[in-house]
Amino acid sequence: MTFLAPGFFFASLAVAAAIVALHFIVTRQPRAGILPTARFVPDTRATTVARATHPSDLLLMLLRVLVVLAAGAALAKPVLTPSRGAEARVILVDVSRSARDSMAMRDSVRAIYRNGDAVVVFDSSARIVAGNVGDTLGALRPTSRRGNLSAALIAALRAGSSRRDRADSLELVIVSPFAREELDAATDSIRTLWTGRARLVRVAESAADTTAIAGTLEISADANDPLQVTIALARATVSGQQVTRNGSPATGSGQRMLIEWPSSTRPRFAVEREVRDTVGGVMAGETVVVSTFERRWTFPADSLRGADVIGRWVDGEPAAIEKPDGPGCMRSVAVPVSPVGDFVIRKDFVHFVAALSGACAATTSLIPANPDLVAKLEGRGGLASREAFQPLSDARSDLAPWLFALALAAAIAELFLRRRGRDTKALGGREKRSAPGEARAA
Amino acid sequence: MTASAYEGHDEYAALLDAVRGIRWPARSAVRSGIPGAHTSRLRGVSAEFTEYRPYRQGDDTRRIDWKLFARSDRAYLRLSNDRAILPTMIVLDASASMAFPVATNAKWTLAAQLGVALGAVARNSGDPVGLVIAGEEPLLFAPRMRRSVTHEIIRAVSATRPGGSASLSPSVSIAAQSGGRLVIVTDFLGDAAELLAVTGRWVAAGREVHTVHVIAPEEIDPPREAAMVSDPEASDVRRALTGDTREQYVAAYEAWRDRIAHDFTEAGVAYTTAVVGEETPDHLIRRVTAPRGVVATA
Repeated sequence: MTFLAPGFFFASLAVAAAIVALHFIVTRQPRAGILPTARFVPDTRATTVARATHPSDLLLMLLRVLVVLAAGAALAKPVLTPSRGAEARVILVDVSRSARDSMAMRDSVRAIYRNGDAVVVFDSSARIVAGNVGDTLGALRPTSRRGNLSAALIAALRAGSSRRDRADSLELVIVSPFAREELDAATDSIRTLWTGRARLVRVAESAADTTAIAGTLEISADANDPLQVTIALARATVSGQQVTRNGSPATGSGQRMLIEWPSSTRPRFAVEREVRDTVGGVMAGETVVVSTFERRWTFPADSLRGADVIGRWVDGEPAAIEKPDGPGCMRSVAVPVSPVGDFVIRKDFVHFVAALSGACAATTSLIPANPDLVAKLEGRGGLASREAFQPLSDARSDLAPWLFALALAAAIAELFLRRRGRDTKALGGREKRSAPGEARAA
Repeated sequence: MTASAYEGHDEYAALLDAVRGIRWPARSAVRSGIPGAHTSRLRGVSAEFTEYRPYRQGDDTRRIDWKLFARSDRAYLRLSNDRAILPTMIVLDASASMAFPVATNAKWTLAAQLGVALGAVARNSGDPVGLVIAGEEPLLFAPRMRRSVTHEIIRAVSATRPGGSASLSPSVSIAAQSGGRLVIVTDFLGDAAELLAVTGRWVAAGREVHTVHVIAPEEIDPPREAAMVSDPEASDVRRALTGDTREQYVAAYEAWRDRIAHDFTEAGVAYTTAVVGEETPDHLIRRVTAPRGVVATA
């Protein structure tokens, strides 16, 4: 058995030693006596401190020591030390929308997994699998969320800390198609926190059609709609999308993407704001448009479920979202377009429209990551040593609640014992006072 | 007398034998006219010649020494000292502080011995002896001359158990009204200030006042073992007598004793210290009864 926070236990040992010492150092009143000239004795404290050869109130002392030790041990979080092997693995399993071949993924993980390994399942967030790993692996299904390797690596570090007592070396295994969207700017620096090399198991990405989308950016709107101009300017950079301004798509559902950008009516999935306000800018991709926008619509939280935010106001609120729609996607834009001035022909707004008209997320999720970045993920050197991982400070101890209960029970018993001892002394005192001979002597 | 009348006499028998020959002269000439053993302030016609004095008009002619008149042809009166009795009141302090040490009651035992012995000495001088025991149950014997007074004193002190915290000065005032000599046996741990005032008044009134300060050795030199001591006459006085406080106690108690001795002596009271076990009772009686100067006045 070992303690996750041994300082508490050592402190409780010190306190228990002090309690034992105090039971040997008894403070008591000296022997009572009669002295007619007592008035000439200076009036000082009427107790003396003496060292006893035997501890006073042995049972009380034992209970107090038990209270302190049990509470200290509970705070120290005792855990039963498992037998330590030479090697263990922390397996990151990608279940994001990039990894749609669930069968291949499950087979890969099952081939790697050994008893005692940690499994971290991740998409946009990461979860350490607890309990029966086999059942969990059998139930793994890719989600529609974007993968986030940074979050998975952080979870891997925590899993490594939880496995540091079970193996001398820890191997990081990442089972993923390694799509570009799963890596971000922090991934590389987070990866360096894992000091050993990683084994990368590439699984097949989605079997969806990834061929380029042909066609041009079309708009279904009135002839006087100012967005017509912007679409015309942006058409040089994007293709295959249809923008509808009046609620009726120009063509059928064969389109890969439909961008709903109503000029005055409520955008799909959006609701009207309780109070209209203005905001100073909107962004999409790398493009920021600085202007005064009157915000009339807002996307409620439940409308974002299963959606990707592709445009945001400068205060972070979603301005445009995308939801999967069959093989393609459907986007809803709640950005008002001002017909006044040259707003619609401004370069930043044209780029903004082009960014909104980019490929569907389901398509971009299949774009493989840069091989250099993937190579950095693999790293070099040997496996990570267990010493490289900090012990978990928030780990749970199964024994701690029982120790707390023991301390509480001992404290209650100590309270009753102390009260009973006090009552016994008081009764003894009354009996003594009632004795006539002693009363006279007193 | 019945057998019970002699109860307690055995323990005093040796003491009474030891003090049998002791005389207790008055410190000054007494005023009493009843013939007794003490020099009286009155000059009379007793056989004990003192001096001649020329006859003055108004003197009783029967007192003229006619033989001297025949030899010298001058009229002289023959004077002689009168002797008178001195009623003696003995006041014993029987408060709880006298029941110390608790196991032996040695202070009270000594006080009782002093009371019995001084009463016997006074009685042997032919003086009337009275007794006041100031305790939980006060007791008063008026001065009496009969021989059994010593036995009555013995019975009274034997039946007394010291206790309570009664003031001594009222008992002294009552006793002083009955006798010419007042003997107070006490430890002064009650109302010493009032006692000093009362005795001072009676000394000024021409009474002979003796005080015997009864002290237990344990009070002078208490045990060195730490103890929580309490005053038997004041339950709220509980003090820790430890190694630290013991020296201060000894010094304070000694200073208090010196002040008591000084104050009572200054007030004209014959002050005697009686430490339990330090000397035999008869020796103590000799010290108390020793003449301290007899002043005779015409």
